[in-house]
Amino acid sequence: MLIQKEMKLADVIHHDHKLVPVINRFNIHLGFGDKSIEDLCVEKEINLEFFLTILNAYHDHKYFPKKHLQSFPASVLVNYLNKSHRYYLDYKLPELEDFIMKLAEKTELDKATFTLLKNFFSEYKSELIQHINREEERVYPYVLQLESAIEKGNISPELIRQMDEYPIGDYETEHDNIEEKLFDLKNIIIKYLPELKNDDLLFLILKELFELENDLNDHSRIENMILVPKVEAMEFSIKTRNQ
Amino acid sequence: MPQRLIVILVEGSYIIQSGIELLIQEIPDLVLTEVYDGTEKKLVDKIQQKKPDVVIINPNILNETVRSVANQLNKNGVFLVGLVDNNTPDNLCSLFKLCMNINDGKYELLEILKNIAGNKTSGNAKKTTISELTNRELTILKQVVFGLTNQEIADKLFLSIHTITTHRKNITRKLGIKTVSGLTVYALINKIVELGEIEQK
Repeated sequence: MLIQKEMKLADVIHHDHKLVPVINRFNIHLGFGDKSIEDLCVEKEINLEFFLTILNAYHDHKYFPKKHLQSFPASVLVNYLNKSHRYYLDYKLPELEDFIMKLAEKTELDKATFTLLKNFFSEYKSELIQHINREEERVYPYVLQLESAIEKGNISPELIRQMDEYPIGDYETEHDNIEEKLFDLKNIIIKYLPELKNDDLLFLILKELFELENDLNDHSRIENMILVPKVEAMEFSIKTRNQ
Repeated sequence: MPQRLIVILVEGSYIIQSGIELLIQEIPDLVLTEVYDGTEKKLVDKIQQKKPDVVIINPNILNETVRSVANQLNKNGVFLVGLVDNNTPDNLCSLFKLCMNINDGKYELLEILKNIAGNKTSGNAKKTTISELTNRELTILKQVVFGLTNQEIADKLFLSIHTITTHRKNITRKLGIKTVSGLTVYALINKIVELGEIEQK
């Protein structure tokens, strides 16, 4: 289904509930009645084109908005990516950690295995946090600088140097190791934990891990499909301007 | 679930992409992990990063670069499949180990895909030995968990680094665990090593 501005957001959510955390990142709270996507965007001052792009990209993995790439500023995109980082850091990771800690009291999982699982998760967690910090400290500010330099027509030598040293194309490759760890964690829980009489909590943890993985995949797909080409276009325009 | 072969598709047409994807979903031994339309920069690098077992390519969309792409992937032991039609010249077909003709019917195409899966899996008996590590693999797993690099393990066990790499690939394939920390957790849960042993190292 292609999500369009005339549709009621309520209908869209009924159709695909995975979009709930996404609309939340746009500051849309539940209880929005029969308002259309367009109406809500006006009311909440959301960039309509961008909102539609994100909804569609999360909803359909094949959605690739080639033509719309330039129609919203990169700052809007960066703002969104930052918000989804907050969702992982402030909500998903603490929730998961909470569940894992409860394994010790609520199940008969032996202490040694519990400790292993707990430590593996915290290793994963700190790697994810490190990755997020690097994006927020290095990549996103760079994107914003590029955009503002192009707007103002004021391109500093410092920016050119950064562009040559660390072009956005290099950045795509950096996701892999964290994904592998998350995959291992799932597989250890699925295949290698001792059988427990009461594994409700493990099911819950597994479900959370799958959801987190899904959302992270969508997040990096948006970075690779929308952010990277957009920034490559900006880099190209600066390079040609400077010649 | 048996370890599945990773397939990457390089094809420009959305309709054909979706068709191939549907076909691949019917073969449990294959999983399509990435689709490229052939216009990507550094395509070969991107493909190699995903470490595919099989790459299906429509030679028409790569134009003159097809030969070099095919050669580079061939060198890495990737099983190359050409996605051709009735007008594809024979000399292009010869770049591939197998060709699928998009004008073939569903079950002819499925037969070819099954052959690909069989071809790649039968050689190293992937299906029968899932999760049963050999003694050699257990020895190497221990060394990995103790934090040794492939080179150090090779020196210690008087084996070539190439042998170690192969064993490590097999360990990861059998267990479905890729990271060293994941392997450590596995080894400890299954008492292949004791915590004390690791701390001493």
